[in-house]
Amino acid sequence: MEALGITLQQLLTQLVSFLILFFLLYKLAYTPIVGMLDSRAKKIKESLEMAEVARLEAVSSAERVESEIASARQEGQKIISDAREAASKLREQEQSRARAEVESMLDRATSEIAREKDSAIEEVRKEFAGLAVTAAERIVERSLDAKSHSSLIDAVLKEGLNERKN
Amino acid sequence: MGKLLSSPKLLAIAIGVVAALLISVAGGALGASFGFGWFGGPIPFISLPAERVAYIGSYPLLNTTVMFWFGGLILIFLAWRATRKMSDVPSGLQNLFEVIYEFFGNTVDGVAGGKAKAGRRFLALVSTIFLVVVIINWVGILPGVGSVGRIETIEEWVHHHLPKVEAKVQEKHPEYTPVQTEAAALVHLLEDHGEDTFVAFDGSIVPLGRGEQARVPLNKIITFSESGLHQIEEAIHDGDDLDGLPLLDSIHSDIKKGVVQGEFVYKGQDFKGKTVGLLVPFLRGASTDINTTLAIALVAMFTVQVWGVRALGVRGYGGKFFVNPISQGPIATFVGILEGFGELTRTLSFTFRLFGNMFAGEVLLIAMAFLLPLIGIIPFMGLELFVGLIQGYIFAMLTLVFGVMAVASHGDHDTHAGDH
Repeated sequence: MEALGITLQQLLTQLVSFLILFFLLYKLAYTPIVGMLDSRAKKIKESLEMAEVARLEAVSSAERVESEIASARQEGQKIISDAREAASKLREQEQSRARAEVESMLDRATSEIAREKDSAIEEVRKEFAGLAVTAAERIVERSLDAKSHSSLIDAVLKEGLNERKN
Repeated sequence: MGKLLSSPKLLAIAIGVVAALLISVAGGALGASFGFGWFGGPIPFISLPAERVAYIGSYPLLNTTVMFWFGGLILIFLAWRATRKMSDVPSGLQNLFEVIYEFFGNTVDGVAGGKAKAGRRFLALVSTIFLVVVIINWVGILPGVGSVGRIETIEEWVHHHLPKVEAKVQEKHPEYTPVQTEAAALVHLLEDHGEDTFVAFDGSIVPLGRGEQARVPLNKIITFSESGLHQIEEAIHDGDDLDGLPLLDSIHSDIKKGVVQGEFVYKGQDFKGKTVGLLVPFLRGASTDINTTLAIALVAMFTVQVWGVRALGVRGYGGKFFVNPISQGPIATFVGILEGFGELTRTLSFTFRLFGNMFAGEVLLIAMAFLLPLIGIIPFMGLELFVGLIQGYIFAMLTLVFGVMAVASHGDHDTHAGDH
């Protein structure tokens, strides 16, 4: 022991020195550094977890948006097709109504025409009667011969017709 | 080679390196044999025990203790600087310490195995051992450590060695008076160490160019003769009055003077009258003192036992060493006893591994400074830095491995049995 230089005094000195050094390093280096490493590891872990959560959320919200878009599209399609259907119905209705109107107008026109015709005929008849009377008067005024008789009537008729034409 | 010759800068560097090498070879111990040797420094006296450099009261302060405290202060200062202003984004010293602790944190968890942070209980000691051992190894190879010192005079030298011899004499002849004991011890000392050599100094500084300086044997410093010593021995034996012996007086006065007495000419220089002594370095690497390494080893192995007891309980941990021969069989008992001896040998191997490596490193540096002064030492300093780091790592890792083995319960202990 002596030759190696081991003495109790020096051994205790180094032992105590080492223990003091250990204590100081524990306080000064180990605790703060390891604490820092741990807290940083925790922080990183937490932020990774948060990122994962955010990612999942993003995925789910994207899905939701997609489904919403799809449903909106469906709805739009439905609205369009409804509108189209309604339009065609409306058109048909309008068409049939128009046709009916046209028909009724036609009927009315036809009956009007008929009435007009009747009244015209009536008028013509009345006119003719007058004319005939007139013609008869003239004939009577002139000593009537058969020939001038008939030419007179013709002239009256012509006159009446021309008058009517105008 | 062609590239080397074509570039004048490289060529100049190459020539410079070769020239420096030649100068250092010629200036060192090899050159000294041929009449050169301008740069040789004094060879410090290589002693296994650490040297005393001062006394605090009656407490002898060793040069290795000084370096241990110095290294410790550096480490504390660095740690304080590193953790003074901690930031989440580390830089500088904080980064360095974080790298070290993180590395050991991962290592202890890896070696301990199992769940996360399984090795956390080992981390504080393992990392501290690494840091302390590396720092004391490194400050131990700073230039000036081990080579700057004071001269231990002959008087001091005798003063150191006499008590041991006196104790031996007293054991043999308890009837001697203190004066007789001292005289007898002195005689023994001169007989045993008459051929020991000491360095002749020029004043207090050894000038460069005396690297292979004269080693003066003790019998040229203290004049004595075999017959004279016998006379003194007889006088002691006969119980004569020792005050009257002229030889003893002259020995005492020679010791006090501590200069070369006899003719001693070396390389044409007469050393008569020059002071002689030993170069005692003021500073010496703490890990070259076995007290230091033993202290750290004791702390490590003691803590290993504490880990073992805390993990397995007194019965469980003690059961590794004391096995019932009846229920377990005598072989298991024997293995248990070996296991107990293993703890002791581990302490010793810890101690001597670090001490041996660092002491050898110091001697290597001294030898290289002696053989190839100036530049020869540079690669070896690099080597010693590396050795210092590796030794710190080995110390820490072995502590960890022993700790893991200690906390392993009986069942899975067998799997580790191979790594002693």
